[in-house]
Amino acid sequence: MAKDRSQASDFTGPLRRLLISVLILCLLAIFLVWRIDSPRVERFRAQITDQFVPNLSWAMAPVTGTINLLKDFQSYQRLAQQNRELRSELRRMQAWKEAALQLEQENARLLDLNNVRLDPRLTYITGVVLADSGSPFRQSVLLNVGARDGLVDGWATMDGIGLVGRISGVAENTARVILLTDVSSRIPAIIQPSGQRVIVSGDNSAAPLIDFLEDSDLVRPGHRVVSSGDGGVFPAGLLIGQVAADPTGKLRVRLAADYQRLEFLRVMRHHGTEPVSDSAQLIGPQLPQPEATQ
Amino acid sequence: MTEQTLTRLWGMRLTFALVVCIILFFHLLPLDTTPRQWVGPDLLLAFACAWSLRRPDYVPSVALAGLFLLADLLLQRPPGLWAMLALLGCENLKSRARGLRDGSFASDWLTVCLVITAISLAYRAGLTITFVALPPFGLSVFELIMTLLAYPAVVAVTHWVLGVRKMQPRDFDGTGGTT
Repeated sequence: MAKDRSQASDFTGPLRRLLISVLILCLLAIFLVWRIDSPRVERFRAQITDQFVPNLSWAMAPVTGTINLLKDFQSYQRLAQQNRELRSELRRMQAWKEAALQLEQENARLLDLNNVRLDPRLTYITGVVLADSGSPFRQSVLLNVGARDGLVDGWATMDGIGLVGRISGVAENTARVILLTDVSSRIPAIIQPSGQRVIVSGDNSAAPLIDFLEDSDLVRPGHRVVSSGDGGVFPAGLLIGQVAADPTGKLRVRLAADYQRLEFLRVMRHHGTEPVSDSAQLIGPQLPQPEATQ
Repeated sequence: MTEQTLTRLWGMRLTFALVVCIILFFHLLPLDTTPRQWVGPDLLLAFACAWSLRRPDYVPSVALAGLFLLADLLLQRPPGLWAMLALLGCENLKSRARGLRDGSFASDWLTVCLVITAISLAYRAGLTITFVALPPFGLSVFELIMTLLAYPAVVAVTHWVLGVRKMQPRDFDGTGGTT
């Protein structure tokens, strides 16, 4: 029997090694192609996800629901305490609501006086979160709206209160949202009372870092951070969160969106700011016209 | 009898694909969308190693390559690199399978630890060489340790639940010997 087996391995050995070499070369080639021409492979990845994940949603929805129910069940044990906390919070919120209503009326009156026209083109599509990135190293979610619904790469995504992320990778039926907490996320923002322009950059923690801050003396924890619309990719004025200082003194953003429960997300339609077509005149000093013609 | 072993062979191959799909399914569930400070073990790699050591014929190279590539694509990793290294590691384990068949579980575990550590190191090296942004070091090490610690549990599930055991001499008796 042993002789039989060794004969078999003599026969299949080189063939098997050839097969493995071919497989390994193929995988290496895929990696190198991804490294060289990332957008094409990422589009392919989006298509694969598009084929795979929506077919699983019939199973994903009930399983996710059940697990969330179990998690909720744990919190039922603290029901009385939560109830008390909520009641005191509600009392505080009623005061705020009163203030907000007055401010809203005042704001509407002032806008009317100034004849301000808010951007009427900022509409949105709401999508359901199908899946997350599946890996602890990347922070993204998959929505059930895609190119079919007219989504475009780069559009902003909100959860109703605050910015959640931006669309990156659109397939026919699904689209991926890179969350603000992802390592590759960079969003131009403005810090409100002081008007400083910064970049909110994710670093795989719950609160993204504030980068490229010019004067940190003007910024206090608690100041509002909103998107600035620089670069023309994002609509301006979407709430991102509040400034907070971490124990090492670095300034971070405490996000306004509730990242614990991302279920429904709004994708803001944004048709871009006008692109600058004559780039040559932007660079260098302008030459005097008469001298150039002589 | 040969037909029966053939059915079992393909059945177990399908079982492996099913196990991988279930693992991916639970990875993709949108349960926790906040960044985490801890990482679960890479069960996919642990299962692939356990099966490669026990029954190499249940995890053919093509299936391993395809499933690892699928995992790369679905879990937002750079496609191809991790799949290639994991395939190399599993093939290495398959070639050692015959030598380790009579060994104790400790030697089995040690070998797998070495292979998985080598895969992780080579992965970081590959990413560094090609200037791809590296995943956080702490999280990677944590995942590696969790995978190594989870390996005995994975082996237990493989052995008792899925019924994949090391080939015994009696497997060759009278069943055609090609298993």
